[in-house]
Amino acid sequence: MAFFEALRDRAVNTINQVLDNKKSDLGLSKDERFCREYNLPDGEVILDETAAEIGIKHERVQPQAQSQSQSQAHGNNRPHSNSSANQLDILPQGRLYLTPHFLVFRDAFDRKACSFTLHLSTIKKVERLPTRSYVYALSTTTHSRLIITFYLVGVRPESEKFAHNLKLSLRANLPNVSKLQPFIQTLYSEYLLSKNNVSLEKVEEVPPGGLGLKFKFPGNAKDSRDKSKMKLWFDLLRTDGRNLSVIKTPMFYRLVRVGLPNRLRGEIWELCCGSMYYRLDNPDEYSKILQVNEGKQSLAKEEIEKDLNRSLPEYVAYQSPEGIERLRRVLTAYSWKNPDVGYCQAMNIVVAALLIYMSEEQAFWCLNVLCDRIVPGYYSKTMYGTLLDQRVFESLVQETMPILWEHITKYDIQLSVVSLPWFLSLYLSSMPLVFAFRIIDVFFLQGPKTLFQVALAIIKLNGEELLKTEDDGTFIQILKNYFQTLDQSAHPNSPNEKYRAITKFQELLVTAFKEFSVIDEDAINKHRAKHRDTIFQNISTFVKRTELRNLPKTAFTQEALSIIYDRFYSMVESYNVTMASGSSLMDFKAFTKFMSEICDWCYAYEDGDSEKGSAGELSNPIETSFLKRLFNHWDTEDQGAITLSDLVVGLNRLTAPDLMENMANFFELYDHKGNGKIDREGILQMSEDLLYITTPWKEASLLDSITERDIEQVIADQIVKQKKQQGSDTEGEIIVPSEIDIDDNEKQRLINQQVERYLSGASTFIQRAFEYAQPQEEEVLLEELSITDNKISHNAALNPNAPVYINLPTFRMVVLADETYELLFSKTFSSSIHVDKPLDSKFKTIRNLRDMFDGLLADGRKVATQVRRRMDSAASNAKHNSGNNSSPDSASLKSAKKEEEEYRDDDFGVIAIDEKDKDLLLGAEAQVLTDPVRHKTTGSSSDISKFHKAEAEAEAASHSPRETNLIEFEHD
Amino acid sequence: MSLPNPATPVKLVLLGEAAVGKSSLVLRFVSNDFQENKEPTIGAAFLTQKCTIGDRTIKYEIWDTAGQERFASLAPMYYRNAQAALVVYDITKPASFIKARHWVKELHEQASKDITIALVGNKYDLVESDEGGEEEDSLRKVSIEEGKSLAAEENLLFFETSAKTSYNVNDVFIGIGSKIPSASSTEAANQQSHVSEGRVDLSGGVNNRGQDACPC
Ligand SMILES: Nc1nc2c(ncn2[C@@H]2O[C@H](COP(=O)(O)OP(=O)(O)OP(=O)(O)O)[C@@H](O)[C@H]2O)c(=O)[nH]1
Ligand SMILES: [Mg+2]
Repeated sequence: MAFFEALRDRAVNTINQVLDNKKSDLGLSKDERFCREYNLPDGEVILDETAAEIGIKHERVQPQAQSQSQSQAHGNNRPHSNSSANQLDILPQGRLYLTPHFLVFRDAFDRKACSFTLHLSTIKKVERLPTRSYVYALSTTTHSRLIITFYLVGVRPESEKFAHNLKLSLRANLPNVSKLQPFIQTLYSEYLLSKNNVSLEKVEEVPPGGLGLKFKFPGNAKDSRDKSKMKLWFDLLRTDGRNLSVIKTPMFYRLVRVGLPNRLRGEIWELCCGSMYYRLDNPDEYSKILQVNEGKQSLAKEEIEKDLNRSLPEYVAYQSPEGIERLRRVLTAYSWKNPDVGYCQAMNIVVAALLIYMSEEQAFWCLNVLCDRIVPGYYSKTMYGTLLDQRVFESLVQETMPILWEHITKYDIQLSVVSLPWFLSLYLSSMPLVFAFRIIDVFFLQGPKTLFQVALAIIKLNGEELLKTEDDGTFIQILKNYFQTLDQSAHPNSPNEKYRAITKFQELLVTAFKEFSVIDEDAINKHRAKHRDTIFQNISTFVKRTELRNLPKTAFTQEALSIIYDRFYSMVESYNVTMASGSSLMDFKAFTKFMSEICDWCYAYEDGDSEKGSAGELSNPIETSFLKRLFNHWDTEDQGAITLSDLVVGLNRLTAPDLMENMANFFELYDHKGNGKIDREGILQMSEDLLYITTPWKEASLLDSITERDIEQVIADQIVKQKKQQGSDTEGEIIVPSEIDIDDNEKQRLINQQVERYLSGASTFIQRAFEYAQPQEEEVLLEELSITDNKISHNAALNPNAPVYINLPTFRMVVLADETYELLFSKTFSSSIHVDKPLDSKFKTIRNLRDMFDGLLADGRKVATQVRRRMDSAASNAKHNSGNNSSPDSASLKSAKKEEEEYRDDDFGVIAIDEKDKDLLLGAEAQVLTDPVRHKTTGSSSDISKFHKAEAEAEAASHSPRETNLIEFEHD
Repeated sequence: MSLPNPATPVKLVLLGEAAVGKSSLVLRFVSNDFQENKEPTIGAAFLTQKCTIGDRTIKYEIWDTAGQERFASLAPMYYRNAQAALVVYDITKPASFIKARHWVKELHEQASKDITIALVGNKYDLVESDEGGEEEDSLRKVSIEEGKSLAAEENLLFFETSAKTSYNVNDVFIGIGSKIPSASSTEAANQQSHVSEGRVDLSGGVNNRGQDACPC
């Protein structure tokens, strides 16, 4: 079951992804783009912005005299004053943005020259500096004692406005400031500085970190010169600030590129990708998610369990329960947080890697940002992003290495078999961990383009070798060997020692980030846009195929199922996308819309259709009642929503071609208790619903086949009359005129006849249903009594307090006793549901009378048969005049009636009526014989006759003593 | 027939739910090795192995796919043009058998018409000890009969294997190889009846030593 659900979700997710992706190209707002660019949490908006020059100064915290130096520094702080000697000579110029929680700056010329994202909570103080008239300067002091001076460029009122807005934001952010202290305690950078007495913050405990702290970090720390790197970072943290208030200068980028030191790696990752901000904002979320969902089961959980022992199994921590536990918790928490993604293989490897350097909470938020923002769609249920980026990668290879690409296509080598795991597991499953981590360092800093740049460099550096291969096997082998020798010299035979010292890995990074630096976000997005639709098409085709194959067996054709599928998802999509839900369940509103598109008797408001009802709402409450009944009945899982499979099964039953089955299905809708009985309330609702369902015929916006037949006869009569008048031959082909004038009165008569039939059908239905309803408590007693006993049935019907019920045989009898209602269940109703109506077709249920008549003429064959029949019978059998009919041409009518009789008998026959039903027909006798509509309707007596037969039999039987009679008929 | 024929390349794809042991079967077949905690396959893996059956040499080009549901949409890329397929399930996991059914359907509908499919119930070692004993606490959740009847229904070869003990593993590839169209029909029929016996003694005829040379 879980499998089908997953598939169902898939289609919707795919659609959502496509919409999301489309948005990122076209409709992403300025704010959204801004958030992405600076890795701010979603929802930040630019409140104000200004051009600015900035001056940065760090107030050195001396181990002993901290507080003293603080006050002094402030007093001295003057723009361009002497104290700024250790400032940059040229002040960075750029743009300063204010959002509700951040102050963001970027250098106007080169973002890497200087940029920062200050969390407002880190700003301790803002001072307006006494400056010369043309500058407006603000000095801010951060918790890390960084003093940043902003010289706002622009007209004074604008600058004042900015300062004012900043003040407002700072005030509004005050409640968040309390989160800062505890957060600082979780940062290794703070611990490091505190321990070395160069910080005002006190962090006594080693903050929670990765498994590496306990189980050792992968690789050789000495080889990677971890200590030296740490020292460099220590200096940078002191001067440029750290974590929430770090200023990124070229040094920052350089230090990331040479590889992060083990202990700081996790923190720098979360800083670079922005997951740190989420962690700050939602301090308890991780533990809460785990707590709330404890003990719950899910498909994702099952899938995670399978892979826990299969995630970096060679790393010692993952051979211990501690490592496995952390992995389990982070993966599970994410699967609860984002059920649309859940769990995807490869995430286990990525998270296992993160957890070596990060605490669980850090890894959790980092995973969130990774899956939802950096590489959206990579791990989702359709893996849409993965498929797309593989295609993009192929076209980038084609573009940058055309000769190799030609070779690859010539030998039909599946490049993506090799490259897909690189992207999906961030190289962790392809190359030795130490190297993969270096790539990941850059990846979190620079984004997904890193993955492409490295992949292209790998292909490029092995290009010569790869050109020699002619099959996938060797192609893959070459790359496998390459990854295993990344630590070896790239130029082992070079006479130049410096050259010889360059490893293949270094060469790879240089090629990736220098040569392929042109492959930037823009280039990638251009390619993505090109391939998006094809990929989407492929996925939807696959998903649809799979889902259709797994539907329960029904009478529908593949084409019909395909249309139902498309319509289902078009509804689910349009309703759920707007509600930002990724479920592929159909709620009642969508169901209503669905039904209104395919059922003649169901009409829902369209968008903007009426002021009274919003889109998808029904135009009258009775409709809701019947549809709600269907919906609840089809909702097999009792979840207030139906699945595609529920819908298909339901529709299949609703359109069952067999009269008896159809009645049984309808009966079941009202049989709440499933005990085969429908009570008074049920009978009333049933009658009401029948009245509702038959609206189009009752209001003559549609004609049923009885009326059609009548019209055909009228037309045929007319033709015959014309022929007679013309004295034309009765032999030869009968040509049906394309137009025939039928008297408007005649038309109206036929219409009225139908209207009347339906009205009378409805009233006799309810009347009979109660007449033959059986008293609830007196069940046993009743069995011994003839139901023809009017006293009992009338008593039951008349006394509103006596609980009564009807069972299926009674229901069938009541329906079958009325020709119109019988036809309703045998044909009219099921043919009013157009499951295979194409999605884009728009036809109106309401057609005008003229059309209906013309429609009948268009199908001239039927009319021609009628005419032929009349001509034949008139010729051969003119003497046979039956006097009981007022029709102008009774002879022909009689013969037509005979035909009709045969036709009818073939169709339903008496066969389906079991003994019980026959018995129940006894009571219908009186009603049938006095039914005015029945007598008025021409040609209707044929099917009545078969009941009459049954009635006659039963009547005869009823004259014999009651007891014997009953034993025979009540036999089960 | 004195000269060795050139190896016939046969493209073979492995399909089946996650963690049923597809990669392990391949690892056993290709390197006669087993790893207790094999990392999941991401996307697909590609390996080759030669195999001699009678006077024919087959070079298997093996596409080992990822089992997780969401990777299924990648599968068509891998089973495209495949001549043979192993649909693998885990005899201790009923859901994996349902999944196997699905894959068989998918292959019949989408793969090349004359594809040879073998249904493989893996992890036989887990039930070996309690085989013949009472059903109650047996780890086995998919009976051999269920497997056989699906195979008969869909016209598949059928094996129960253990990548861990290497039980029946080579037989799968021999069985497939003999069934590949160019083989004579009698040979294929023999092979099929031989394997559908269920338990095939490894020591009988099939030598599973040797790493580089194909064990078959
Ligand atoms: N006891 C036992 N364990 C097995 C056997 N075959 C595989 N395993 C174990 O089952 C787990 C999954 O094996 P894999 O070969 O990776 O499974 P897979 O089908 O390739 O899985 P995916 O790549 O995720 O689709 C590993 O831990 C194996 O050690 C077997 O025959 N017996
Ligand atoms: Mg595998």
